[in-house]
Amino acid sequence: MFETTKIVLTENTRSLIKKLKDAPFLYVMFLGMILFSIVIFSFAAYFLMNIETNLDISLEDVFFTVFFIFFLKTVADFYNNFTKSQLVTYSLSTQVSQKRTAFEIFLAVLFTDLIIWFSFSLMFLFTLSVFRININYPFEYLLFTLGVITASCIGCAVSVNFFSPKKYRLLPMLILLGFYFYFSHPIYVVFTLPLAIIHCGWSIKNSMESYLFSKRKERTKERSLVKIRSIIKAQFHRETTVLWRDKLLFSFVFTSITTGLFSGYLFLYGDEILIPESLRQTIGGFLPSMFLFLGVYVVVMYTAVFPALNLFLNEEKTMWIIRCLPIKNDTVVYGKVSALALCFLTTIPFIPYISIFTGFDKLGFLLWFLVFSYIAGIIVSVPLGVKYVGKKSDILLLYSVSMILFLVLGLMVSFINIIERFFDYPIIFYLLILFFEIFILYFSLKFSSQILALKYKSTYPL
Amino acid sequence: MIIVNNVTKTYGKIVALNNVSFNFNNSSVIAIMGENGAGKSTLLKICTGILPFDKGQVTIDGFDIVKDSIKAREQIGYLPEMPDMYERLTGREFLFYIASLRKLNDAEDRIGEITKMIGINDFLDYEIGSYSKGMKQKISVTSAIMHNPKNLLLDEPVYGLDPLTSRALQDFIKNRKGTTVIATHSTQLVEQVADIVYLIMRGRIILSDKVSTLVSRYGSIEETYFQTKDGLNV
Repeated sequence: MFETTKIVLTENTRSLIKKLKDAPFLYVMFLGMILFSIVIFSFAAYFLMNIETNLDISLEDVFFTVFFIFFLKTVADFYNNFTKSQLVTYSLSTQVSQKRTAFEIFLAVLFTDLIIWFSFSLMFLFTLSVFRININYPFEYLLFTLGVITASCIGCAVSVNFFSPKKYRLLPMLILLGFYFYFSHPIYVVFTLPLAIIHCGWSIKNSMESYLFSKRKERTKERSLVKIRSIIKAQFHRETTVLWRDKLLFSFVFTSITTGLFSGYLFLYGDEILIPESLRQTIGGFLPSMFLFLGVYVVVMYTAVFPALNLFLNEEKTMWIIRCLPIKNDTVVYGKVSALALCFLTTIPFIPYISIFTGFDKLGFLLWFLVFSYIAGIIVSVPLGVKYVGKKSDILLLYSVSMILFLVLGLMVSFINIIERFFDYPIIFYLLILFFEIFILYFSLKFSSQILALKYKSTYPL
Repeated sequence: MIIVNNVTKTYGKIVALNNVSFNFNNSSVIAIMGENGAGKSTLLKICTGILPFDKGQVTIDGFDIVKDSIKAREQIGYLPEMPDMYERLTGREFLFYIASLRKLNDAEDRIGEITKMIGINDFLDYEIGSYSKGMKQKISVTSAIMHNPKNLLLDEPVYGLDPLTSRALQDFIKNRKGTTVIATHSTQLVEQVADIVYLIMRGRIILSDKVSTLVSRYGSIEETYFQTKDGLNV
């Protein structure tokens, strides 16, 4: 009974335990970050409940945030555990009905979602109670729990039908999502749970049409680009080709533009939206600078840290290719990191779009801070990516690196503030800082290549 | 020439290779056989510098695989047991990428020649992610032999290949100059191409002799395998 569910859950649990044993430092850090985030969110809740502010975060906003997180998680989990999973072939080839096997995989995904929901929400409620906030809202908690189940059902249906040759099967779910968007109330989501279950069941019934979906992509037109290159150029070309084909470069440009517009808007109107008029004079002053900082931080996280980590984390099964070739570790690291130069170009649109709101007098500083942050992102990410090469725990590592980078950039901004107070021509300092940072970048890459060498070094050569 | 001198490799408490020594001479085809988990693939990975080892020394044409790693790896071509490759590149892009990293400026003709020989030339412009197991094997074989390596290390080379390609590859192995080391379970392949066979069990060499001698003594390599194993009570 439920053999496939048990196997999927056991496999996922053992995989997590193996990762914990392989990289204990990373996971201890991650656990610390989770606890820290829960405390911060609880504190934010306390702050919003006790301080008069124009910022209006409603129950609906939180509900839909939770809903979409679980929706996306289920789409990805069902894809990984069913649609592209070779392991499922064993279960699918037994006398057990294939629909039942797919259903059992969905149960495993749903069970994982609920475990995560209950553990995180209970931790959050416990922290709220420490802040002496009333947590006695059983109806709302039930709404959220049913919302998570609905999100899992819709996520599964979308995941199945997205890879089906009959794409029109996505339509009911898209209508349902549009319905949620239009009414924007949790109760409407919960009322549609039976519909979501029916469509999820129907999708699972037809899930074999999506199983091991693959499209044989021919690239004859790109043949002219294939040629012998120098080692660094060849690595640059390989890495950027993958980024291009995964459409990541487009998403980098899109993120740069939207972050520029969004943070620029908050630069101008943020204090009006977030700070009550009575407090605006005293504490509103720091907000514009904070939004500039956060804008650059978000862009750098997405366009530098994320690809820099993935340069190494994604090499889980392909490291043999480079390891058996006569290339130095330095060259491997330089070649891969060179691809980030192209990623940097995708951040440039951030500057003109944010400048629409900030004006052009901050252009020089913004450009400098973007370059500084980008290099800092690489300095922090590359050694950690190399350290955990092939670990595939990118989201966890990304989270930890994001915190380290936040700290580094925060300290640098404080330092810049001090410099600007005491010196008339800080531009010299800006240039010196960049010059110094390039040195650190060089040592960071050297250090990374040493870590890479260590991973493959024999312990006692004669 | 590949010299493996007193190499020991452990995975936790499991001893994969226990103080083994080999001398793979020039111009010969050496087969390594043994039960699953005997240490065949581990030995090949150690010889290519992919896997670190606990004790011993490996030299490739006189270059130490640890101290002169780059020089040693220049002399090697390697085909792994399960070749995972960059799925978003086409077969052609992957082969030219490897050729670039090996600094083979005149690789185009050579790639064309090999891919035609093993029958993958018509699929070179498709992404590797859409390839079958055999097609991936063909691309991996091409990447291992495109630079005419002096030492070729092949882990289950004909696994997943169709009979025609399998025969073409066997002919290539028989006719090539240099050292070829094959880790395989196929007794048929060993009889077809190998000069010398090593039998490994539980990380130790239990038999090494010429294939022709063993075939005349036991009748076949398969029989050699069974009788040796029975004699050891394993």
